[in-house]
Amino acid sequence: MPTISKLDENLIRRQLSSGGWSFLGSRQVSVEATCLAVLAGGFESERLLGLQRRDGSWPAFSGDTEASWTTALALCVLNAMNDGDSARKRAFQWLLEERGQEADFLWRWKFRIADRNVRFNPELYGWPWDAGSASWVIPTAFSLVAIKQYTACSRPEAAEKRTRLGVGMLLDRVCIGGGWNSGNSIVYGVPLRPHVEATAIALMALQDERRTSSIQTSLEWLKQRSESVESVESLSWSILSLFLYQQPVGQLQAKLATLVGDGRVIRNNATLATAILALKCGEMIHPFAVMR
Amino acid sequence: MKIDRRRFVGSATGLAATAAVATEWVRPKYSVSYKRPRSQVAVLNASDYSERLERLLFEGIRLFDLPVNGKTVLLKPNLVEYLPGPVNTNANVIGAAARCFLRLGASRVVVGEGPGHQRDTELVVQSAGLQPHLMEPRIDFVDLNRDELVRVKLKANYSGLRELWLPRSVLDSDFVVSMPKVKTHHWAGVTLSLKNMFGVVPGMKYGWPRNLLHWHGIQESILDICATMPIHFVIADGITAMEGNGPLQGTPRELRKIVLADDPVAADATCARLMGFDPLRVKYLSEGSRFLGNLREDQIVMLAEHPDAPLRPFSVLPEFSYLVNE
Repeated sequence: MPTISKLDENLIRRQLSSGGWSFLGSRQVSVEATCLAVLAGGFESERLLGLQRRDGSWPAFSGDTEASWTTALALCVLNAMNDGDSARKRAFQWLLEERGQEADFLWRWKFRIADRNVRFNPELYGWPWDAGSASWVIPTAFSLVAIKQYTACSRPEAAEKRTRLGVGMLLDRVCIGGGWNSGNSIVYGVPLRPHVEATAIALMALQDERRTSSIQTSLEWLKQRSESVESVESLSWSILSLFLYQQPVGQLQAKLATLVGDGRVIRNNATLATAILALKCGEMIHPFAVMR
Repeated sequence: MKIDRRRFVGSATGLAATAAVATEWVRPKYSVSYKRPRSQVAVLNASDYSERLERLLFEGIRLFDLPVNGKTVLLKPNLVEYLPGPVNTNANVIGAAARCFLRLGASRVVVGEGPGHQRDTELVVQSAGLQPHLMEPRIDFVDLNRDELVRVKLKANYSGLRELWLPRSVLDSDFVVSMPKVKTHHWAGVTLSLKNMFGVVPGMKYGWPRNLLHWHGIQESILDICATMPIHFVIADGITAMEGNGPLQGTPRELRKIVLADDPVAADATCARLMGFDPLRVKYLSEGSRFLGNLREDQIVMLAEHPDAPLRPFSVLPEFSYLVNE
């Protein structure tokens, strides 16, 4: 596809002199944008490794002093590139320790007894966006992919336990009719609608799980919804996810190629990189694939 | 009575501790005040979102003599989700406002938003129908969830957060316009111009949604954010508003009003009255009236029609029934 080389060129042009990528053209390196760009362009992961914190986590962006969900994404990058053994080990350990606020028994008690407007099982927790908050779908899904990839050959008991809890949490939060919202499925008795991106990423985390009816319904929802999606970000994640479920993505890729053109109109570097990954689907090893 | 040294030291320590606690309790939690003796509000009648809206808005904004000539104006609408119903600030109101500020001499208008639940900002902008308005010259859009961030010390301390990373585009703009959708809110009671500023807190740092603010208290976080990022003007979309289980799952309510104000507290208090609520019972509004603006009717000058309470108050979830003005 001739478009891809132009998109790659665009991505290279947008690389900061410090080696990473920002989201929207500033000089502030975004770990998310850098992870996706490194994967999309097959670039060196040196800048990414340089941003790792002592405790094994990554911040959301350069200059930030706190750990973030981007650690899971960074571990996926290093897994895909088979790079940075020690960095990967430390990231894995950090992910095992990190948990949503519901993991604390006091919060579980609060959600079980007092705060029942949001319906979910607080026993099943995953990963938060940032320390001190509850579990949400996208950080949990990326953490699951990262841990499953890292422990593909041998999974320690602690990792297995967290994996089961995380998978349980995703399945507990699935929307009625399939798909995932950002975190919950029912608030104040009203069912929430699924989001395309959250559904696509949650399905990636469940790619190697037994095809329960929840997973199957969500997959059907995503297949149907992705046909009408006109946004580059959601369409790209849909392609990446559907491909892992051996669904045909050729038509979606053609639509995506039309939407992105030569990439100049896409200001968000993370979106541009995700689009490149989606267009390269089938031509390269899928960076979020989990060995069964 | 003879006071020995031990008793004296004990009493003095007790007194000092009491004084310290009392001082902390009495001392204001804010270090700025945007209150003026009088605030101005204009409530405009608008039956729909047609082309007539721009003219109405232009005439309305002109009543305020705003200092926007040559300035960068940031419009902060309320774009939350791609859901049907009156969830988002209507795109025609945003587009009309942008063109009005350009006509009034603004050098550039930036529409800035960071949707709170939905990571795909493009999808929200598309679904809201905003894209055609962004094609016009000198009107740009910035995704506040992914803008360059600056660490900022908060100018109030209700939440205990003390500092936040905030988007440079908002911090660098000369004139900030909050453009809420008039809605009830299942956690805050109402969501209006002050609550709308939650959308400047970036998802790339705090996630989707900004859970940290929820843990630290929604009402408290609103006060801290608005103390730190002052709102210069409000354009509230109350043409088709939302009642019941807002801000996402509520039902449409035809209010047929646009509320303009040079003070966010006065704007929100007026909207609350239009909804049939007592603004003093909205915690962040009553507390905000100490330093963010004026709440009392005698401190608000009405430039257009005087708003009447509705015949039927907006419906709310049972836990917010205390808001309703008896």
